Amino acid sequence: MILRTFSNLCAQSQACFRSARAKSTLSDVIDETGKSGLILKSLSTDIFENLALEDWIHDHVDLQNRNMLFLWSNAPAVVIGRHQNPWQECNLQVMRQKGIPLARRRSGGGTVFHDLGNVNFTFFTSKKNYDRHRNLQVVTSALKGLRPDMDVRATERFDILLNGQHKISGTAAKLGRTAAYHHCTLLCSADRALLSAVLKPTCQGIKSNATQSVPSPVKNLLDEDPTLDCDTIMDSVASQYNTEFGFSSPVTLVDPSDELSLPGIQRMACELLAWEWTFGRTPKFSICTTFELKNDTSICNATLNMDIKNGIIETCDIEVPSDWLPVELSREFSLHLIGGKLCPYQTSVIAAAFLRTIPQNKEFERKMYNLCRRVVFMM
Amino acid sequence: MAMRVAFRCLTANFSPVLIQRSRPVQISASRLLWKANPAQSLSTASRLSTALKFTDKHEWVRVEGGIGTVGISKFAQEALGDVVYCGLPEVGQKLEQMEEFGALESVKAASELYSPLTGEVTEINTELAVNPGLVNKSCYEVGWLIKMTIDNPAELDGLMDDCSYEKFIKSLDE
Repeated sequence: MILRTFSNLCAQSQACFRSARAKSTLSDVIDETGKSGLILKSLSTDIFENLALEDWIHDHVDLQNRNMLFLWSNAPAVVIGRHQNPWQECNLQVMRQKGIPLARRRSGGGTVFHDLGNVNFTFFTSKKNYDRHRNLQVVTSALKGLRPDMDVRATERFDILLNGQHKISGTAAKLGRTAAYHHCTLLCSADRALLSAVLKPTCQGIKSNATQSVPSPVKNLLDEDPTLDCDTIMDSVASQYNTEFGFSSPVTLVDPSDELSLPGIQRMACELLAWEWTFGRTPKFSICTTFELKNDTSICNATLNMDIKNGIIETCDIEVPSDWLPVELSREFSLHLIGGKLCPYQTSVIAAAFLRTIPQNKEFERKMYNLCRRVVFMM
Repeated sequence: MAMRVAFRCLTANFSPVLIQRSRPVQISASRLLWKANPAQSLSTASRLSTALKFTDKHEWVRVEGGIGTVGISKFAQEALGDVVYCGLPEVGQKLEQMEEFGALESVKAASELYSPLTGEVTEINTELAVNPGLVNKSCYEVGWLIKMTIDNPAELDGLMDDCSYEKFIKSLDE
């Protein structure tokens, strides 16, 4: 598999036109190659840059008579579907502790964990040529090409199962104005312990109509065959893509942070990074949960009811037994949270300010502090 | 076997003959038309769609009292498959014609929705939050998506009436 950098591709197209050109955008260069099939591979492992590149290609490249395959891998990240609820899907606490970002993609589907042991394939086509089965066949054929005895099959839900049991790939897709993309993951050598830890939601009592993930037992291809690594698999899928669609495209490396070749991409990545998109686009939901509050001498149960819209707390009612804390305190704290983001950082700031207003009473202060901490922890 | 759906982008180029059938935008005229056809049944999709204008992205808009009700066509909901979630805009959001205003998530994909007109969202169909399948079951009636003001009524002239739309979807199959 010949690897070319984007600048090589530029040079090639410039040579074709026998004139020196100012640096073109990626879509200009692609048009100039005149090729109907192209394979791109990302130089970046940043989830937001790579998702932005997907969007950029979808918006700017003429895909009416062209297919493209995009190969990419990311540093650890959790990626939720467009209409999902992150509080319902993943362990935000653990993610924050480990510095694992949350990303919301523009396609539908469920929640996945990405790391450098997971490979992503995005198949770009016109809407007319959108065919997930065919795309997944490229992947399964590529794997069987490497290991003829391997039992890998695509299901009706467009998952790929290993040995009929373990999920090694999930699919999601987006249909736009005239073009479509279908992307899927492939677990090669992902950190399964970390995967399980982050995909276990900790926020209880959520009532929501957001699209929910269907949890499945997973496995790495590496567990099946230690000689199967990400690069081998990527190469094989790229080859198979050419075979399946009758192309002869080399793999071209692309830098998704290159604003000159990809004008507007930095803004797209920023949009994907913004709280308003990752958390704020969560469909309206409510939380109704009880939790324990302890101090040295006693325990009690508190209840929390919240309505959240666009990630903002619209209503909040925290009830604590009156013999534990004066009702006015928990009520006032509830009021302080209304209008704020369901965000532990912002809530900590609000809680700290609130705690300073409590009348001098060590016992109340401690209990209130515990309550605040518990509420922040839930976020 | 995968569904092959042709969602081609066409520029609107309508034959003069079709203009006779298109409904005027003014409120009083459309009310007159309803009165003139008392026997008009609303039971079939094709009859329903006589009051509708269509985009080439398969959205429809029905104008009543200066407000446009927007939904997706039967062709579109069939192509989408079972809708599992409707991602709709906020009331008050301003939309430009052809601007993306939301997405319908189905088993097939997340499919973007494009505004047929320029205007402001006045209402969203909250029923869809609990029953997104209404978009499939009743795409012209209770499965409507949003209501919006019509800032530029001339835009309606550029949309297809039911006849043109039927021809358009037939041409997609070819």
